[in-house]
Amino acid sequence: MPQSPSASPSAPRPIPSRSPQLATAESLLGLLREFSTEPRQDLQTEALTLAVAADLPVLLWGEPGVGKTAALTQLATELDLPLTTVIASVHEPSDFSGLPVIGDNPAAQGVPLAPPDWAVRLVRQGRGLLFLDELSTAPPAVQAALLRLVLERRIGSLQLPPGVRIVAAANPRASAADGWELSPPLANRFVHLDWVHDAQVVVRGLGGVWPRAELPRLDPERLPAAVEFARRAVCGLLTVRPELTHRLPSAETRRGKAWPSPRSWEMTVRLLAFGSAAGSSREVLSLLVRGTVGDGPGLELLATVDRMDLPAPEDLLADPAAAVLPERGDLRQAVLDGVVAAVRSRPTRERWDSAWTLMARALESCPPDVLVVPVTTLASLRQEAWEVPELIHRFAGALAVVRRAERSTAGVPTGAGRR
Amino acid sequence: MSASGSVPAPRSDPAPGSEPAPPVRAPLRLDTEKLFAARLHAVRARPYLATALFAMHVVESRWVPTMAVDRYWRCYVSPGFVDRTPVEELASVWVHEVSHLLRDHARRGDLAMRTLDLDGPADRLRVNLAADCEINDDAFGDGLVRPADAIYPDTLGLVEGQLMEDYLRQFTIDTKYQRLVWLECGSGADGLEREWEFGPDGAHGLADHERDLVRFRVARGILGRPGHAPAGWRRWAEEALHPPQPWRQLLSAAIRSTVAAAGAGADYDYGRPARRSSGLPGVVLPSLRHRPPRVTVVVDTSGSVSDTELGTALLETAAILHAVGGRRDLVSVVSCDAAAQSVQQAAAAGGLALVGGGGTDLRTGFAAALKRRPAPDVVVVLTDGQTPWPSAPPPCRTVVGLFPRDRVVDEEDPDYVPDDPPSWAKVVTLG
Repeated sequence: MPQSPSASPSAPRPIPSRSPQLATAESLLGLLREFSTEPRQDLQTEALTLAVAADLPVLLWGEPGVGKTAALTQLATELDLPLTTVIASVHEPSDFSGLPVIGDNPAAQGVPLAPPDWAVRLVRQGRGLLFLDELSTAPPAVQAALLRLVLERRIGSLQLPPGVRIVAAANPRASAADGWELSPPLANRFVHLDWVHDAQVVVRGLGGVWPRAELPRLDPERLPAAVEFARRAVCGLLTVRPELTHRLPSAETRRGKAWPSPRSWEMTVRLLAFGSAAGSSREVLSLLVRGTVGDGPGLELLATVDRMDLPAPEDLLADPAAAVLPERGDLRQAVLDGVVAAVRSRPTRERWDSAWTLMARALESCPPDVLVVPVTTLASLRQEAWEVPELIHRFAGALAVVRRAERSTAGVPTGAGRR
Repeated sequence: MSASGSVPAPRSDPAPGSEPAPPVRAPLRLDTEKLFAARLHAVRARPYLATALFAMHVVESRWVPTMAVDRYWRCYVSPGFVDRTPVEELASVWVHEVSHLLRDHARRGDLAMRTLDLDGPADRLRVNLAADCEINDDAFGDGLVRPADAIYPDTLGLVEGQLMEDYLRQFTIDTKYQRLVWLECGSGADGLEREWEFGPDGAHGLADHERDLVRFRVARGILGRPGHAPAGWRRWAEEALHPPQPWRQLLSAAIRSTVAAAGAGADYDYGRPARRSSGLPGVVLPSLRHRPPRVTVVVDTSGSVSDTELGTALLETAAILHAVGGRRDLVSVVSCDAAAQSVQQAAAAGGLALVGGGGTDLRTGFAAALKRRPAPDVVVVLTDGQTPWPSAPPPCRTVVGLFPRDRVVDEEDPDYVPDDPPSWAKVVTLG
């Protein structure tokens, strides 16, 4: 638009009256920026929110452009934390370790390390969400400086206040521009989450409705139980599998990802406690636990937790009539095996009878083949004086299944033809 | 534990199918006694699959021709099929169906359809057939009968012992397989949802993490008792616990990270002031220094490495080095069998000639690579590993690309075992 030609280049130009076209364009842009949010069950967002609430540094692994930054913006809004984004790859090491500023007399006063402005702002605010983007494309010296930031929460001479939460993002090794890998100490400090886009979320979002990350609602009454549960799960596993306490990743495939160490187990305890107090689903816990100690140890822990969920044999024996048994056949068999083992360890007439009541209850709602092993073992525990319980006739159908299976097994040769 | 007849129960032998339906369970019109006797047979023949077999939820269905599974571990069973099939054959079908689930054919089928750009029901049937071949080539025998009308690799004229993805590339649907079309294992086998399936929200489905846990338990059970499971299952268990990655990506990542590590490549350095320093007096800034790495590739040209293997590996390495900014004049190649044969610059006209063919001693190759001046920053070794290794780590980073080999026995010295690649090298298994 033609402006007054008299304005000299040195004098500040008056703010031009807006052209109508530009104003229309801006209102269109404004309309496009408008969006609403809806609460949505989204596992990865829930996991991210829970880990941030537990004050653990999170590392999001995802291809470029899958919406990691958008998710972080949402999270910051929801948590009401100011978001500071730092793109690690465009910074120098001194931006994280502090700029050495030489004063008048370095020998007497030393050389202070001056922190960058964003760090000063973060400390002044006392709280915030620090997002370290493009972690995997930063040169090695920058990563070394970042290690201190994540590990010790220090930038130069500044200490980050406890209200600051750290989330980082990285591209998977396959798509990283230059194949840098996370050093084991740095990898061990993070909860690793794979970030994938969900087509439905993207479509809803482009239509103007983005999902809302909701802070986990921690139930104050459950806090002591949650801590007890988390400690029992992790200690229970590490007691039987002490070799899982510390295992550096050796295989090329596992480099730069989560691995078990006392530190990451401690993080796991915290995550389990938070997840339990917030009533998070097993799927979310699965993402978090595997992202903290790695897939194998994580799965073992989840298996332990699964077993902990099963009703305790002694409770079942004490009140067999009120027993609630798991639906799934494999879990049901595990419970009944536990009951039989409990009877075997302290065999009394009452316990044996009440185990039979349990078996009969189990038979009402599950296929008979599941019961074969626990029932036969229980039968073998009978002592001379004990009479066969009345309800044994209910197992006739199961027995027919066993006999039929035996006939059929006998008809097929074993050993030969084995590969 | 054996269940052989120790239950002190009164004798009662109801006719098949006349078992009164328990009150809680929906009445099944199918012969559950026969079906579950078959499952028990399967559990006895393959104890390590018990967890998975019991985790499946049985659904009676008149839509399936035989037995089928969906992704959520429901097992749909046709009453008619149970009625006309002998128990021992039903046991084999149980193991077959649970194998689809354990081997994750639904997800792998989706993936294969995408990578091979396949679409449509005919291709889904191909996925199902290929998955069946992967299972059936070593599922039966040793306590399980071999069902006559199942698909085996030799039905399709293929070599056994391969994976579903390999089989899929080797045959196309043909009218001569028309009679196989009845074989329909559901979405658990090929990833295509059927309309008669309950879907993700239906009752008694297993969630993602539950499926992972069942797989994990079975895999642990197989590896925990070595010698009990056939090689195919052990291989599966290994991969379920430690999924393999494509060697190209691994080699690429290993070389990239080695080449970009400190000492070569781009990094910050306080040795020289940064350009920004002039604008910020009193502040010491590091500068970004870039030195392209010198790379020497040592190629094992002994007789035990095939030309095809060498060709692919060398091409791959050259492409990776090019991608990380390696200048051709900084890359050299050493051919090495029992002695280092020749050293060539990759930039030399007329391409590379690899010479050799005898036994292997890579130590001479290392020596030749390290003798070069200026010394290399990175040594990349392509070998089958049937060689002695240097006793001390070389003064530079090392990446070993290893062609997998079974251990060979030397007839003159049966106790001779080739050393594994040393721990100071990054080792990537190729192909």
